Amino acid sequence: MKTARTPVGRVLLEAALVAVVGAAFAFAANRVSPRGLVLARDYFPPGTNPPVRMAAITAPADSPTDTNPAAPSAVLRLTTPTEGLEWRLIDGDRTVQLLHDSHLRPGAIVFIDARDEEAYLAGHIPGAYGFDPYHPDKDFPAVLTVCRAAEQIVIYCYGSNCDDSQMAARLLRNVGISGQKIFVYGGGITEWTNNHQPVEIGARNSGNVNITIQ
Amino acid sequence: MTNHQPSWKRAGVNLFTVLARWLLGAAFVYLGLTKALHPVEFLKLMRQYDLTQDALLLNALSAALPWFELFCGLLLLAGVAVRGTALTLMLMLVPFTLLVWHRALLLQAAQHIPLCAVSFDCGCGNGQEFVCRKLSENLVFLGLSVWLLWGRGRQFSLRFSLMKPPSPPSGL
Repeated sequence: MKTARTPVGRVLLEAALVAVVGAAFAFAANRVSPRGLVLARDYFPPGTNPPVRMAAITAPADSPTDTNPAAPSAVLRLTTPTEGLEWRLIDGDRTVQLLHDSHLRPGAIVFIDARDEEAYLAGHIPGAYGFDPYHPDKDFPAVLTVCRAAEQIVIYCYGSNCDDSQMAARLLRNVGISGQKIFVYGGGITEWTNNHQPVEIGARNSGNVNITIQ
Repeated sequence: MTNHQPSWKRAGVNLFTVLARWLLGAAFVYLGLTKALHPVEFLKLMRQYDLTQDALLLNALSAALPWFELFCGLLLLAGVAVRGTALTLMLMLVPFTLLVWHRALLLQAAQHIPLCAVSFDCGCGNGQEFVCRKLSENLVFLGLSVWLLWGRGRQFSLRFSLMKPPSPPSGL
């Protein structure tokens, strides 16, 4: 307590107090926040991609920021492991074919959007189910039911600079969905919209189909 | 020593200090809130640093940091425990600035580009940005924290010091 009488001691003590109270506030706020993290959950279970350490996004200084997300694709396509995956990758052309294949029975092809709800509602592949692998409790039962009945499941997220689709694929594999029928569309919604393919805005089967994301 | 300063100079210093406190406080409220509203995104970005393999520790860091920043920002805005908060922010800023710098160097080496051309989302709350800008911003924040630690500019503070008795302002 003697050090608390000196100016330096008082500041140190005050900083310690701020740290302790701040930490308590932070954990309490996370607990009550509807978007808070569940501390005990393993958000990256074994089998999901390791962190992509070289997710470099480089661009000239005068480039607009919103054009940069396309830049890492080339890098990430090289660094994202494709060997040893328990599912297959699929390209944009094949994804379009599957969407429009009229020979398949209804429900044979299931599209899963692995982005968060906000992004899903802004625009998704028509008929796709929303399934945020970081908040699986909400949509998982419904998605699991349709996936079990499906012959092929196409999962996508933003594009090759996100691994949420592989997270979703991992969760489906962990509950026994065969990897033989799981396809990950690496180009994701970014490539999809860049190719001027239709997107459905709002809820699934809302009927509001457009070619641009809101 | 500062008691011998002209009053206009003291007033200027005090005004600058109050503005610095509000600026730093507002910045941390904003940066903390943007992360706290998207905790999963922040978690993914924290994972990129490969700080720990322990899921609980990674979750705890990612869950607490944004709200902690928000808390510190609010303290500065209100003028509560200003010097202790400034020291806490300094202790946070130094390691995180070094981490961002380290990662930027890795990316620079991998891409063979100038350091200032490296741009990535460091999880700092501003989204993707060029690393030189981010490092400069952190240095400004560090400078402001050091200035606040000096203990001047107690105007508009609810409780500048938590420790009783509050030491008399040395510069006033």
